[in-house]
Amino acid sequence: MSSPGVVFKDVWKRLPRRSEVSTLAELLYALPKRALQRRGEDGLLSHEFWALRNLSFELQPGETLGIVGPNGAGKSSILKLIFRIFRPDRGEVRARGRVTGLIELGAGFHPMLSGRDNVFINGSILGMRQREIRRKYDSIVEFAELAEFMDMPVKNYSSGMHARLAFAIAAHADPDVLLVDEVLAVGDASFQNRCYEWIENRRRQGCCIVIVTHQMQVVQSATRCLYLNEGNPVVLADPAPVIDRYLRDQAESMERTDAQPPASPGITQVQLLDERGHPVHETTAGAPVTVRVHWKFPQPVSGPVVTLDLLHDDPRFLISTPGGNLAQLSSGNALAGEVAQGSGSFDVRIDGLHLPVGMYSVRAAVKAHGAFTAAMRREDALRFEVRRPAGSESHALIELPQHWSIAAQVRQAAEPFDEP
Amino acid sequence: MKSARDLRELFSYRELIVVLARREIRARYKYSLLGAGWAVALPVALMLLFSVVFARVASFDTGGVPYPVFAYIGLLPWQLHAGMLTGGARSLIDNRALVTKVYFAREVLPLSRALAALFDFGVAALVLAGLMAWYGIVPGPGAWLLPLVLLAQIAFGVGLAMLVAGANLLYRDVQYVLQVVVTVWMFASSVVYPLPREGWLGRLSYVNPITPFLDAYRCLLVGGRFDPGELAAATGISLFTLVAGWYWFRRVERCFGELA
Repeated sequence: MSSPGVVFKDVWKRLPRRSEVSTLAELLYALPKRALQRRGEDGLLSHEFWALRNLSFELQPGETLGIVGPNGAGKSSILKLIFRIFRPDRGEVRARGRVTGLIELGAGFHPMLSGRDNVFINGSILGMRQREIRRKYDSIVEFAELAEFMDMPVKNYSSGMHARLAFAIAAHADPDVLLVDEVLAVGDASFQNRCYEWIENRRRQGCCIVIVTHQMQVVQSATRCLYLNEGNPVVLADPAPVIDRYLRDQAESMERTDAQPPASPGITQVQLLDERGHPVHETTAGAPVTVRVHWKFPQPVSGPVVTLDLLHDDPRFLISTPGGNLAQLSSGNALAGEVAQGSGSFDVRIDGLHLPVGMYSVRAAVKAHGAFTAAMRREDALRFEVRRPAGSESHALIELPQHWSIAAQVRQAAEPFDEP
Repeated sequence: MKSARDLRELFSYRELIVVLARREIRARYKYSLLGAGWAVALPVALMLLFSVVFARVASFDTGGVPYPVFAYIGLLPWQLHAGMLTGGARSLIDNRALVTKVYFAREVLPLSRALAALFDFGVAALVLAGLMAWYGIVPGPGAWLLPLVLLAQIAFGVGLAMLVAGANLLYRDVQYVLQVVVTVWMFASSVVYPLPREGWLGRLSYVNPITPFLDAYRCLLVGGRFDPGELAAATGISLFTLVAGWYWFRRVERCFGELA
């Protein structure tokens, strides 16, 4: 058996919650306090927390580790530890061979310089020799599909071109350990596919791959999956059971938030109801649902306009619209004659929720008719998951309700071609 | 043994030092009006300025050397020193994106800045050659020793840059303090006038390596006073600064990535 590509042995990593001291002047004041401060029983100073607690694993060459967990669970810390940007406070981290990160594509690009210059600079930063880059230069340009743009300053590149060039350089660094952190959320679909193909190829050649992502279909293709929560490794096993456990925990934590009593006036709760009127946290694409908005207004709101923004967890769906929403439900003038006071609820019936599969959150706002600013707002009022309908074979983003029929047809007997 | 490994690692990044220095020089020269002239503009402007001012206000005993030559020989290495120090101090913070996202030996950054400053020094030195030709001054055979003085000066500058760079990343106001220090330092050294050697000012030259270095440059190029004791002290301080600066840099380097 060959030696492992990545080893974590009882790794603990401590991080400051925020930079407490950022100027010399502040340092002067902080020094006496620092001298007196002792680490607590948990081994932390008051402004620190454990980003990772007692993590151990070994990755063999050719393995892919997918890491899932809520935000702030310590996923990126693992990548930074492998990449030696962080050093462990306890335990040991080892990585064999050349480590390349697709953590921040194009960090170190100089905007004023041409694509060509940046290939040599970025390649060098990733640990390639100049001779090596010269040898691979044509192949890098071809991979990035930017042959006509290599003499253009990088500041004039589109974000997609930027990502393509950066990935092409990283792809040619021949890493032994490859770290991927959600970066592939940029660029068009065909380029993304090429990236994943290339990553898979690299893996077959014996590269260790560590991927952090919120896209479950990416994690599914990993050989092993680690579920982290608040720095604690929860499970490390085959992807399928780990993903199940993670999604179940997420749903549970959502229900826990529901149980909390409304804290402040305004929109107190937003619920997703299924056909039978039961509150749910998951639904299938295209299913009929009702969204119920509970409110409590101590002051009367005349002609309330309720707006619900649907936000997809995948940022790609959000960056192109000014509001950052994927869909919007707005009461518009529907409640114009009403005055809302005290408490109650609004219902929005949706005949078919034709949304792309994935995790959603809802941002709710109410304003008085004609007012410019919202009287009440609530971020993350509801979280739910849209799943692919059972038995669906389509891989399209959205399935539309459809009825097919033949509109016209001309029947014609097939005539044999005349032989000359 | 750890430092031997660190040195070997740094050596493996030697190409990156050159690449990053070239990146800096290119970006600066490609998109500025004067191009390579920038390296020359500041020392020449200062030389002209001080020539006019000191011709009117005061005159110094330059040992028969024309004042513009005297001043330029002082300004040239001083610009190198100031460039290595301020540039090196900014090197980590300017490349924050790199420091928090990619691993490489972090010494590469202040070293590449020093290399870029050295390039500017080389360009500006061409003007000195022209200036000396104009005044008909031919350097003596001792000019062959100039690279040794230059090496000692670089050791001092790089060491200081490493001492300051980490602090500059951690505490944002270090760069303002540094600006004041650099300005005062210039006039506390024999950059544009010979320093009096009596009293406490004379003793200052034993702890400020810049004055002995400048004296050595002048002595080797155009002749002038020279104190071997001072130069020995300056070289010692320089080597110590380099070792201490590097040691300190290695110690604080571990936490650079956490400052994202």
